[in-house]
Amino acid sequence: MSPITPIIDTCVQPHFRYNAEIRRYLPPAHQLRSIPDVEQQWYQAPGGDYRQDLYGEHYPGSDPETVSRHLFDDTGSHTRVAYAILNPLTRGNIADYLLNTQICAAVNDWLLDRWLEPDTTNRFRGTIRVNPEDPKGAVAEIERLAAHPKLVQVGVPMQSREPYGKPVFEPIWEAAAAHGLPVAVHINGGNGVDHPPTFAGHAHTYPGYAAFMPLNYFVHLATLIVEGVFGRHPDLKFVFADGGYDILTPLMWRLDTFWLSMRDQTPWVDRYPSEYLPGHVRFCWSAFDGPMQAGDMRRWLDFTAKSDLLMYGSSYPHWSMSTPEVAASDLRGLDEAQRDNVFWRNASELYGLKERV
Amino acid sequence: MLERRWVCSLDELPPGSMKLVDVGKFGVGVFNVRGVLYAIANYCSHEGAPLCMGLIGGTTESAPESPGGIRRVRDGQIIRCPWHNWEFDITTGQNVADPRRRVHTYQIDVSDGEVYLTA
Repeated sequence: MSPITPIIDTCVQPHFRYNAEIRRYLPPAHQLRSIPDVEQQWYQAPGGDYRQDLYGEHYPGSDPETVSRHLFDDTGSHTRVAYAILNPLTRGNIADYLLNTQICAAVNDWLLDRWLEPDTTNRFRGTIRVNPEDPKGAVAEIERLAAHPKLVQVGVPMQSREPYGKPVFEPIWEAAAAHGLPVAVHINGGNGVDHPPTFAGHAHTYPGYAAFMPLNYFVHLATLIVEGVFGRHPDLKFVFADGGYDILTPLMWRLDTFWLSMRDQTPWVDRYPSEYLPGHVRFCWSAFDGPMQAGDMRRWLDFTAKSDLLMYGSSYPHWSMSTPEVAASDLRGLDEAQRDNVFWRNASELYGLKERV
Repeated sequence: MLERRWVCSLDELPPGSMKLVDVGKFGVGVFNVRGVLYAIANYCSHEGAPLCMGLIGGTTESAPESPGGIRRVRDGQIIRCPWHNWEFDITTGQNVADPRRRVHTYQIDVSDGEVYLTA
């Protein structure tokens, strides 16, 4: 195989060393409130959500030096990972939305304190986690941290009681776009007040949950287009961090078809819905996506020009993580330009990471 | 081969009405839009439905400052396909959503109060 170099890993989940560590970063008024643990969910991967060899005295993915070694050094001779985008989990859509906003702020302060500011190699970039159920608090958190040069995106949970195209959320997206920050939507940890996680309701096993939960992104995406959010905010960009791009094409065909018939109900959508994708939408790689046969991948990605939308992300330390070499093997049918797009160029342009790539 | 043919007298085609002319395989609809005559193929560019049998009305455009966000425009010059609701502007033959998906238009002229179609 020809060398894969350089690489931007757009999806890494750093963790607290232990669940209670977050309390050091909470303000005194919230320090003693009960907060769900990261893995406190109805659906648990057998053996835990994270790669089993990473569980130890502390949580998987919680030691910056170990994570650096795994991401940047132990990647084999073919690859060079230039940057990793850290997107930590928060603790679910907690009913007390003001508490949840403080949890997001605590996660952000921790990320700066333990990961971004000590990183002299300048390879980690981070996420401003905000709570969309508290739009005012979310905007304030973006304003507090947007100027930090190592914070390159805003992060929100996939789980939401309303689709993200609803007007209540628009001030958050407006603030993100004003600061040039993409919004990453990522399945959250912890436990909160959520809708059933799949379109078939509550799955009864973990595989049912894990197979379908990532597809919820389409509800957010469809409403962002149809309710005109992308149209009103030309600089707004969304990243769907759990993949799901394998179902993008047929669902966009459906949106395009209905728009041709009933455009008059949403005249602010002034182009085919699929035409919003290149300017507004990116996906992180997921091991679950795409055809079973690697030979079919090229054809599948060509529909809807998905290799322009896709960015490699390892999902480290999740149990289903993909190393660059595994991802490259799955993508071996792509030509060199498409592969460069997926492994670094799309992310480099989205996040403005130009050095070293 | 284009041929100029008589349609009806102008009195029989008041504003807001349509006359279907039996020409070619699918026919051509002649419309009076606010006193001006237009003609389009009776064949939707989507799946070939009898387009001219659809409802004549207006369409909408975005009006961000108004409460409903929508403004009604082009009243009387839009026809909606009876099969899948595609909208076409009778005056241009263009699909409202995607102007590239147009239907054919034809020449109309009026002489001595009689309407002629060249199709």
